[in-house]
Amino acid sequence: MRAAFRTGAVATLAAAALIMTGCSADTGSEGTADDPIELTYWAWAPNLDKVVDLWNDEHPEIQVTVNKQDGGDPAITKLLTAIKAGSGAPDLIQAEYQKIPTLVSSDALADLSDAGASDLADQFSDGTWDSVTLGGDAVYAIPQDTGPMMFFYRDDIFQQLGLSVPTTWDEYAAVARALHAADPSKYLGTFSANDAGWFAGLAQQAKSEWWSIDGEAWGVGIDEEPTQRVAEYWGGLVQEGVIDNKPMYTPEWNAGLNDGTQVGWLGAVWGPGVLSGNAADTAGLWKAATLPTWGGDASNGNWGGSSTAVTSQSKNVEAAVEFATWLNTDPDAVQALVTETGIYPASTDAAASSLTEAPEFFSNQADFYDVAADAAASVAPFQYGPNVNVAFSAYNDEFAKAAEAKTVDAFLAAVTAMQQVTVDDLESSGFTVAD
Amino acid sequence: MTATVEAAPRGGARRTSPKPAKRGPGAARRHLTPWMMLAPGIILFALFMAAPILYTFVLSFQSEVVQGLGLGSGARTREFVGFDNYLASLSDPEFLASVGRVLLYGLILVPTMLGLALLFALLLDARRTGAKGFSRVSIFLPYAVPAVISSLLWGFLYLPAVSPFYWIFERLGWDVPSMLSPGLVVFAIANIGLWGGVGFNMIVMYTSLKAVPSEIYEAARIDGASEVQIAWRIKVPIIMPALVMTALFSMIATLQVFAEPTTLRPLTNSLSTSWSPLMLVYRDAFTRDDIYSAAATSVIIALATFAISFIFLRVVQRRAFGQED
Amino acid sequence: MTVTTETRAAVLHDVDAASARRAGRTGRGSNGGDQRVPVAVGSTAVLLLGALYCLLPVAWVLIASTKDASELFSTFTFAPSTHLWDNIVALTEYRDGLYWRWMLNTALYAGVGAIISTYVSALSGYALAKYTFPGKGVVFKVLLMGVLVPGVILAIPQYLLLAQAGLTNTYWSVLLPQLISPYGIYLARIYAAAAVPTDIIESARTEGARELYIFHRIALPMMGPGLVTIFLFQFVAVWNNFMLPYIMLGNDELFPITVGLSGLLNQGASLPAMYTLVITGALLSVVPLIALFLVLQRYWRVDLAAGAVKA
Repeated sequence: MRAAFRTGAVATLAAAALIMTGCSADTGSEGTADDPIELTYWAWAPNLDKVVDLWNDEHPEIQVTVNKQDGGDPAITKLLTAIKAGSGAPDLIQAEYQKIPTLVSSDALADLSDAGASDLADQFSDGTWDSVTLGGDAVYAIPQDTGPMMFFYRDDIFQQLGLSVPTTWDEYAAVARALHAADPSKYLGTFSANDAGWFAGLAQQAKSEWWSIDGEAWGVGIDEEPTQRVAEYWGGLVQEGVIDNKPMYTPEWNAGLNDGTQVGWLGAVWGPGVLSGNAADTAGLWKAATLPTWGGDASNGNWGGSSTAVTSQSKNVEAAVEFATWLNTDPDAVQALVTETGIYPASTDAAASSLTEAPEFFSNQADFYDVAADAAASVAPFQYGPNVNVAFSAYNDEFAKAAEAKTVDAFLAAVTAMQQVTVDDLESSGFTVAD
Repeated sequence: MTATVEAAPRGGARRTSPKPAKRGPGAARRHLTPWMMLAPGIILFALFMAAPILYTFVLSFQSEVVQGLGLGSGARTREFVGFDNYLASLSDPEFLASVGRVLLYGLILVPTMLGLALLFALLLDARRTGAKGFSRVSIFLPYAVPAVISSLLWGFLYLPAVSPFYWIFERLGWDVPSMLSPGLVVFAIANIGLWGGVGFNMIVMYTSLKAVPSEIYEAARIDGASEVQIAWRIKVPIIMPALVMTALFSMIATLQVFAEPTTLRPLTNSLSTSWSPLMLVYRDAFTRDDIYSAAATSVIIALATFAISFIFLRVVQRRAFGQED
Repeated sequence: MTVTTETRAAVLHDVDAASARRAGRTGRGSNGGDQRVPVAVGSTAVLLLGALYCLLPVAWVLIASTKDASELFSTFTFAPSTHLWDNIVALTEYRDGLYWRWMLNTALYAGVGAIISTYVSALSGYALAKYTFPGKGVVFKVLLMGVLVPGVILAIPQYLLLAQAGLTNTYWSVLLPQLISPYGIYLARIYAAAAVPTDIIESARTEGARELYIFHRIALPMMGPGLVTIFLFQFVAVWNNFMLPYIMLGNDELFPITVGLSGLLNQGASLPAMYTLVITGALLSVVPLIALFLVLQRYWRVDLAAGAVKA
């Protein structure tokens, strides 16, 4: 019978493991060196754990553990699932700005205004601060980095073909035509249907208002003039065949960066990391400029950038805010963020003092961070809504079709479809949508 | 193997049943023993399959509704919506389109894969084929490669700028369209499925062939049958049950295609986030954060899989699962 | 599809040629009964083409893993380079050897998981094959229905339920749900029915052996080769299951290889995909699996249909 008992035990083990809840919540709000507050932090920025080590060394009473995530989307997906399940969320999470309204509407984030975060407003630009407050009194996250868009180009090829750096979109189109005419294998850029954040940045530059808060209702303005203008512009270039229509970040695109068929890239301030990772041998051949403008109107968009948020499941909001404030505003911490993770800090003062030397990949351009500062200074305000993921996946699907169809009409139809999908989703979820 | 199985279970179940009655206390224990042995399986099944399935059912009849701007806590409430999610799924053109694509994918993949697997199995079983050991291991090898990784590999081989095949085509002056262009992408995905699955199915069929006593063929040979005739007239009918089962499992796998198109999607404009039904489920659940619709679609897919398997087995023959009890 | 079409064309051509040859031959096969028959060129060529088709992508990984990041995108893809060791070192250095941790995790999830799962399947399969008891048919049918439910669909509710128990983001969350394998039970039942003669069970009982003793000492060894098959099946199933660990785990120190490598590829827009690391990592991860298959392949028996034949 002993053997039988053993079998039974095996079976009940599984059941017992399920029934036992791993609940061991910190009850005390004050941590001590002997009994520190333990915080978990989901983040994807590389080497962030090294920056956090600095904090842990100085603060034995609050110990932070970084759990490295795969990137912005998977981390948020997991957080939302954990919120639904009622447990399993970390204390802190690295959240991209466009995810904040979604997270707030899923009740995933704690309001940090009572924990002293409101005092930080003057450390950040108004546009950045708005995206963590959603324009209200609550503070849902502390800004970490921003991604002002920039134009990267192969200086060697530009000189070889006698091309000048475009400052307006008209000039960009002219350069694209001249380049492609000089060598049909070369493109000044590609229209990537896979990068909704990239297109959102371009729409932001054109001063689109994809979402807006209109009293107690959400407004959706994707299918309006600014975005239509951007789509028409790119649809025209793709239709002409002077701009590539393949997605970015594919092996094919990487090959293009290496062999000089992709001569330019509309990226963002974090671009040097991407370029050096994908095409290390082309170091020193690239230069950075501010994004071409619409008829000289100095305006820019963001692509990427993230904040540090505290989740609604955290039992130590105050300690978490203390840590997040240090991480994103303390000069030493920001300096470490810049050197270790390669981000462009959101904190304006800290950015000025920590960004002195150009990134290694751009060692040929000493004024890299001056250009970046110009790019950051002109970022237009942009409001994200509670269903950014829906709009972004609609972008992927609709613009993939358009990029394949290669017609202006298809690009405009894609904008209309994006608007439709976004509004339908808001309405079917029960949000009030303004007409 | 086939021959042994036919004989064994007959004696197996039948002969034991009358005996326990004679053994008094042992009988009760004998009655409990199978349940004790089944307990771990049943408990695990209940916890990790039955409960999640039931939970999916429950979710599929619910929905979450937001008020106003939906910001701040307590803005969301869960409510019972009856069959609304099901109706929405079934009338969703995206869902229907994804079903159509997957049916096409299955029509391409299943016959090709099973045909090649059968051919390879017959060749392995044929007397005059050489290099058997090497071929068998090589063809089976891709089964060990996870779909996420194999899709990445094939992705590289499909993209003209980095593919050795396109490099060769270019040297030859051929203008071959990209495998990831809209018209061909379904073949590209089917090819990954074929690559990963042909070896497995080949081994299944080959094992069945090995179980056939060779005397059967000798008689046919003496009668003057060619190897091809033996293969078609004798071998294929003998392993028909194996063919039926591989076909069934291949069809189920086809309906569940997910990893391959998901991995290839970022490489091309030809694949949407709702290319296959399971991608649609994934998108609803995670990207759109609507697990309720996703649950309803899941139930529909599971029921359809069920129905298709059932009909397939009924149509093909009753031999497969039939007369188990 | 290029390769496939080529293979298929070759296959068709070969079959035609073969049948034409055979049609030309009249009367008795000249080689009937002879053990040392000459090798047929056509059919061997077809098999080798199939092997080539399956090996080409593997050869590509092997070559690609010798390249550094810029060579990967700039040189002819079948020309090897010399950076294999550098890539392995870089992979090992990535976040202090995290890759090898993923390997160990995979060994735990797939190896330990498959062993336990095989044991559970063997117990259930044996019980279903060798005992008669009320409810047996129902139990078997209900278990079998589990084969039809896709893992992707189960992952979300499994997460929500495990979260109630506070088990998400632990080894348990990936290990436990994969201990049950309806398919394994189905196969175990077939093997038990076929490989364990009832007479032997009966005589052991007559000698007073307990039921579980009979199972462990007599039936299990007899089912051995079949159990190896179930083990390999389950091993591959766990190894291939991307969705469950992807959803369950937030801490990358718990990741299996597939989730870890996929994370290196999809790092978001602001970071480059680490293609060289992923390719090298993919190669290294497949090596132990291939070794396992080669060692165990002689026990390999996939009689999917065996159960179907009996009536």
